[in-house]
Parts: sequence; structure tokens; C-alpha cells
Amino acid sequence: MATLGYYLLLAAFVVAAYAAAISVGGARRRSLALTESGIGAFYLVTAIMAAASAIIVYAFVTGDYSIKYVQRYSDSAQPLFYKLTSYWGGLDGSIMFWVSLLSAFGAIAVYVNRERHRELIPFVVAVISVVEMFFLFLMIVHNNPFSTYLTQNPTDGAGLNPLLQNFYMVIHPPTMYSGFVGLTIPYAFGMAALITGHLDDSWLRAVRRWTMIAWLFLSIGLGLGMIWAYEELGWGGYWMWDPVENAGLLPWFTATAFLHSVMVQERRGMLRVWNVSLVITTFFLTLFGTFMTRSGIVQSVHSFGQDPVLTQLFTTFMVAMLIFSFGFVIYRMPLLQARNELDSWLSREAAFMYNNWILLFSAFFVLFATMFPTLSEAVTGQRITVAAPFFNQWMVPIGLVMLLLTGIGPLLAWRRSTVENLKSQFLVPTICGLALGGTVVALGIPLWSSGLCFAFSGFVLGTITQEFWSGARVRQQTSGTDLFTALVGLVGRNKRRYGGYLVHVGIVLMFLGFAGEGLKKHETLLMKPGQQVHVGGYDIRHDRIRVTDDGRKQMVTAEITVLRDGAELTKMYPARWFFRKHEDQPTTEVAIRRSFAEDLYIVMPQFEPGQQSANIEITVTPLVNWLWFGFGVLALGTLVAVLPETAFAFASARVPDAVKAATASMILLAIVTPAAVQAQDGTGVVAKSPQQRQLEQQIICMCGSSGCVHSTLENCPMRPACHGHTAQTAEIQALLKEGKDLDQTLAAFVEKYGQAVLAVPANTGFNALAWLLPYALGFAGLVTILLTARRWSRPATAVAGGGETPIDPSLDARLDDELRNLD
Amino acid sequence: MSHKAAKIGVTSLVLLTAFGVLLYTTLGESMQYYKYVDEVVAQPAAWKDKNLQVHGNVVPGSIGRKRDSLDYRFEIQRNGQKLTAFYSGVVPDTFKDDSEVVLTGRLTTEGFKATDMTAKCPSKYEAAAPPLGAAPK
Repeated sequence: MATLGYYLLLAAFVVAAYAAAISVGGARRRSLALTESGIGAFYLVTAIMAAASAIIVYAFVTGDYSIKYVQRYSDSAQPLFYKLTSYWGGLDGSIMFWVSLLSAFGAIAVYVNRERHRELIPFVVAVISVVEMFFLFLMIVHNNPFSTYLTQNPTDGAGLNPLLQNFYMVIHPPTMYSGFVGLTIPYAFGMAALITGHLDDSWLRAVRRWTMIAWLFLSIGLGLGMIWAYEELGWGGYWMWDPVENAGLLPWFTATAFLHSVMVQERRGMLRVWNVSLVITTFFLTLFGTFMTRSGIVQSVHSFGQDPVLTQLFTTFMVAMLIFSFGFVIYRMPLLQARNELDSWLSREAAFMYNNWILLFSAFFVLFATMFPTLSEAVTGQRITVAAPFFNQWMVPIGLVMLLLTGIGPLLAWRRSTVENLKSQFLVPTICGLALGGTVVALGIPLWSSGLCFAFSGFVLGTITQEFWSGARVRQQTSGTDLFTALVGLVGRNKRRYGGYLVHVGIVLMFLGFAGEGLKKHETLLMKPGQQVHVGGYDIRHDRIRVTDDGRKQMVTAEITVLRDGAELTKMYPARWFFRKHEDQPTTEVAIRRSFAEDLYIVMPQFEPGQQSANIEITVTPLVNWLWFGFGVLALGTLVAVLPETAFAFASARVPDAVKAATASMILLAIVTPAAVQAQDGTGVVAKSPQQRQLEQQIICMCGSSGCVHSTLENCPMRPACHGHTAQTAEIQALLKEGKDLDQTLAAFVEKYGQAVLAVPANTGFNALAWLLPYALGFAGLVTILLTARRWSRPATAVAGGGETPIDPSLDARLDDELRNLD
Repeated sequence: MSHKAAKIGVTSLVLLTAFGVLLYTTLGESMQYYKYVDEVVAQPAAWKDKNLQVHGNVVPGSIGRKRDSLDYRFEIQRNGQKLTAFYSGVVPDTFKDDSEVVLTGRLTTEGFKATDMTAKCPSKYEAAAPPLGAAPK
């Protein structure tokens, strides 16, 4: 099998090379047959990579430990889910996964655009194929995931690191990769435009949606990484400016800049060199980020090995890519002349430029500070490092300026803003900002930097509300519908703009989360049983320490009672888990009490079972949940922006009145549902099946016989004869039959036997589901809207085509005109 | 055109200078020298009372903790050179015998007083592959 896999990689390399060569040849000779053959070969690479992926996944599932990669990242005891995802658990596999994704994305992009952008396609195929070839080459000569043990084969694998056996860590890498790989497509189109000289805006149109989707993946990937750090690592924060984190952030900055500046080019024909350079830079940064974290060039808390061969190969490729790309930019400079000049520094296009400078500066600064140790060593011979405070010192003010610009930009008119114009536009947002800022400062929050963050957030929210309001009013007056339909129609008319505003709302929510980060309270202390401490409005009492075992791991759990004003609020159970085979590397199980206002976050880093005392780390972080919620809104906004036109057709067409109300309630539901779920405690949502088994893993056998003490029902050694076991399983079954869900059943058990019946009270696995649910629901809501909208819009279009135009065409034209001016 | 070029030139010069000055001043406060244990032990006088990060491995069996407290005393080593270190606070999960740690703090006559400790985080990206034929873990 392994040999077949390796040959498939070789074959993919050869086919990709053929695709690149034949496409370029076909384009030069204007031979349709050759370019078509190139496209065919390009699709073939996708098929080969899919087959190779199937082989490695099969090897993981069947446990073929003769393959080194399989042996190193999985073992036979692993659940199937983690076996599947071990595919991208290590460097070699993740490169292969990368190529597979790239070939799939590339095939889709080429398939979608093959008619509309016929002249660009051969070079798009060539550029993507060359990138594929590089990674394939890397695998063939250096990082072959199919390499096998030459001597005797081990019988079992080493197993995946327990820290990484976490739901978020499973979906975080593929999301990140999708973002990175997705950004290769705009680069390929940009290069194709440069090579062919078709430098009108058509290549921008081809990649606009792609870039947004890739950007969405990148954003969600960063968010998932932050949630993982927050829930799993147990230091109470979510971002520490580690090189690995920064590597993902760098292309995010430049891609964000591109998404903004692209609008200036579309509208005013300016910034053309800038845009194509941004696309190249973004692609370069995805490569550089990968290189920086995998080659060992930068010291990081993640231990990457020094790998001189990888460093060499990557450097060569990156330098070649930069020279080739920017060489073409310079060569095509005459074709990239701007159609217009900047009229005023107080205009929309200028605001976009400020935004771009700040984003680019952020990228540059983060890159500089991340590389500083390496740079200083190269220049002075001394390795000098800078830590997180340095990053914060710079990025906090930069972030605040960026936030303020988010509010200012939309208020400025294209070309030039007049003074009257500024007065009327800035009035409401400024009042909003001052009001919110004033309130929080009056409540005792320091002006720098959290107070300012609140004020600016208020300003941005004021701007966005004003934009939606005035736009909807204009539309309502011209079309004569109700305000709500006008609002939806407005969004549908200009999805990118209003979807973008929604994204801005998400960003503002995230900034509120950042503001809360500056206000957090932290306490670390050694607590004896019964000892009580006061932190941030909570009284926290350590009750005792309990040791349990569930067969896969030993769990040491601290029982902690949280009180407020003397009344018991909740119990919390921070724990340390010692997985089999990884006993020397226990994982920290954080206990989190979530709420809209703040999170109470408790960790037990150390314990002494003999004395029942434990080290307890308590962190109270205000507003941190708004950060995750902001990511959800951001995703929703991006989806609105990338949705096809038909999704909103219902609002521009004539709709029966009954339907209108239904739409309104559905959209409201879609918006409110994630919020409602968010409002619940993290443990509120639980997977449905197989419930019985889950419960048996969570409930401790209470039969009281010595052999049974503290094992779960599932692992009760006296099973099935144990009387406690039989009685309790029967109880579970009865409760489930009554229609009780997991939580209710557990609650019933707690009522009967007390808290001790629970094996793992704070299970992060369930929290994981709870946090994913808002996204899933938001997405499901949008899909439902889309589907219903399609159905409704069909008859309406038929009516419109039937000769009787519902809206006066001249009115419609006027509306369009006004909307355009409004823009 | 030349007028415009001059304007752009002056603006970027001012911005760059401002940036450079800012960067220089902020860097000074937050810079830390990054050294391996043996480098520090070789010239203790040169590194005394400087912001320092020391990289080394924990000497097996050297970790000691004062009863009922979070005060640690241990030794780190590299290439046979050892350095006594003190740390007060919660240690990372991966802090144990022979683990690779980076301590941030100051060198004093008694030893290295660390204010911050990072232990190398296990990552899915492995170090260099084990030599051919080596027994798998």
C-alpha cells in the first residue's frame, strides 16, 4: 500500500508538470486542444491526490504501523474520529493534505471560471500546478508520508499527543489550511492576468468571492485556535503572539487589506499595482508562515525541529516566486496605470488607503517582531527576543486606530466629502461613541485602553446602524414596501457592502472581548480543604480532591464551590487527566463558568492528594464570550456577502404579504437563535446519541463494593453481576425512556446520589459542541433562508416576465441611481 | 511631478523617522537576551542583572518545592554546564525532569531568578526524524 501511495505522489508530480507545460504551450500557440488537455491533466492531479489521501486514511484506520507516519501519530486505542484526523497530525501528512486541498480548490476554481475567463485559465492552471509541484517535490525528496520501517515493524503506534486529542484541534488545522490554500487561487488569477496582460478588472471579479471564502476560513481557523488555547491550555488567555499564531495572522492582515482595496479599483480604477502586489504578498505570507513555523528558523514554544533541507527548499521556492511575481508586476507597469487620481484626503478611497496602510503596517510589524530574534542573531550575533508585552504595546494602539477607521470609512463620500456632508454623517455615530465611552468610564473603567475601545466600538456601531437605517429609508420610500422588506432588499442589492458591515459588527464585538481582556482579575494560590478566597466578586471554596479512573485515563478532580454574597452559585471541577502512555504529560482540564458578562475560569495546575490541598488558579475575564460571538457574526456577515444573488431575490421581487411576515420571523430567528444558544451555559447542549453509553461513562457505580469504587458504570469491574451497576443502568434506561435528555438524567442522578455520582462533571468535550452550535445554527438558518427564497422568487419572476411590471422601471432606475450615489 | 515626489518623499521620511524612534525606545524596554545555559555560565559577570532568557534542560532529580508553596528551586543544564534557578508560581504541564525550558528573569549571585517559565510545548510537528533503524518509541 505504502509503495502504491508513493508512486501516486510521483505520478501526481509528473501529471502536474505536464499540466503546467501543456497549458503554457497551448496558450502561446492558441491551441484549444492543448489547453483543454492541460485542464484535463489538472483535474487528474485532483483525482490522484484523492486516491493517495484515501490510502493514508485507510492505513490509519486499519492500523498499518509499517508506515512510519501512521505509527508516529496514531495507536490502536484511538477512537476512529481521531484516527481519521491523524492524517494532518504531522508535517508530512499536512503537506500532502495541503496539496490535496489545493488540487481540489484549483479544480473547482478552474471549472467555475473556464468559460468566463477563458484567456486566463491556461496560466491559472500553470501557476497552481507549479505550486503543487513544489509541495509534491518536497514530499518526494524529503517528507514522504508513505515511508516505511525497513527493519521489523512496530506492533502499535505511539499515539497522538493528548493535548491534541481535542475537538478544536481536529478541525482547526483543516480550516487554517483551507484559508491558506484558498489564498493561492487569487494569486494564480492575478499572475495569469499579469502574464497575459489582461489587466482589466475581470480577474478581480473572478477572485473576489474566492478571496472572501478563503478569508472566512482563515478567520474561523484563527478563532478556533484561540478557543482551543483558552479551553485546553489553561492559562486563562487566548493569544500570546507566538510565532505559530502570528503565522496565521500575517496573511489575514494582507487579505483583509486586499478585500478593501479591491473596491477602490472596481469603482475608481485606482490602486491597480497595489492590488496585484497585495495578492502576491498574501500568497507569499502563507508560504512564509508555513516556512517560519516548520523549519525551526524561529524559536517558539512549539518545538519544531531545525530542518536545514526544508529551509533550503522553501527559501529557494519563495525567492524564485517573489522574483518571478514582482518581475511581472514591473514588466506590466505601463498597463497598470491608474485611471484616476486621488481627489481628496477626505474621501472614501482615501479611507480605504488608510485602512490598507494600517493593515499592512500591522502585518509588517508582526512579521518584524516575530522575526526579531532571528534578525538580531544574524546582525549582532546575539539572540534577542521580544515578548508579548512588546506586541501589545504596539498592536493595542494600532488596533484602536483600525477600529476607529472602521467607523469613519463608511461616513466619507467617494471622491470628496464636503463639510455639511461630514457634519450630518458624523453626528449620530459620535454621540453613540461618546455615550458608550462616557458610561463605561463613569463606571470606573480606565480610559486607556479599554474605555477608548468601548467609545470607538460605540462609534462604529452608530455608523453601521445609521448606514442600514438611511439605506432602508431611501429604499422604502422609492419602492413603497415596509421598512423590514426594504432592509432585506437593501442588503440583497448590495450584499457585499452590507455583509461587510455585518462583518464589522463582528469585529466590534471581538474588540469588546479584547477590552475585557484588559480588565481581567487573576489569582493563584495554594488552597487547603475548606479554605475560601474572594476574587472578582466571587467567593471560591476548595472542598476536596477526588481521584477517579475511566480506563483510558486517571483523573484528579478538585471540587470547588462558588458562592456570591454567601449564596451558592455553582460547583466547579477543574481537573488533571493522566492519559495512558502519556502519564508524564497530564492535561489540564479547565473549569469555566460562562456568562455574557464574564467568565469564571478555574485551573488546578498542581495538587497533593495526601493533604487534599491544591494549587488553584482563578481568572475572571469580563466579556470574553463576546469575542467568540463576534467570530460568529463575522462568519454570518461573510456568508451574506458571498451568497449568490438568488438568495435575496425574494426581497426585490413582489412577495405575498403572508410570506413577508414568515420571512421576517425566520430571519429574526436565524439571528436570535445563536444568541440564545450562546446565552446558555456551556454544558447545556449535548450530543444526542448514543446517550445510554455516554451516561454510563459519566456516572460512577455506587454499589459501594471495594472493587467498584470510583469506576464508571461502563468500567465497573464487577459488571454485569454488580447490583449497583444493574440498578443504575436500569434507572438510566427508564429516565431516557421518559424522554429526559442527558442533562436531565444526570440531574436526576445527582439529586439521588449527590455530586459524587458524576465521573467527569466538567467535560470540555461537550462544551466544544456547545460552542460549535451557534455557527452551525447560523449556517443552517442561512441555508434555509436561501432555499426558501429561491422557491418564492420563482413565481414572482414569472409574474415580472408576464408583461405586468410591478414597479415602474423608471422608479427602479432612479432607486439604483440613488443607491449608487449613496454608496 | 517633482513637487509631488518631494511631498511623498518628505512625508515618508518623517513617518519612517518617527517609526524608527518609537521602535527603538519601545524595543529597549522589552528586549531580552536569549542565551543557552552554557553561554551564561561561561561569563556570569557579563549577564548579571540584564533582561535575560535562558534556555536549557531541567537536571533530572533537581526539582524541589518548598512545602505548601509555589516556590521552586531546580537546576538547568546544557553541555554539562549547570545553573541553579528559582521560580515562584505555577509551572507548565510539561515542566519535569529533563524537559526543555526557557526561563525569563535575571541572573543574581545565588542563581537565576525567573519571573516566567515556558516549557517546550509538545507539537504535532515533530523534531527531525529519528535516524534510520532506530527503535520507535
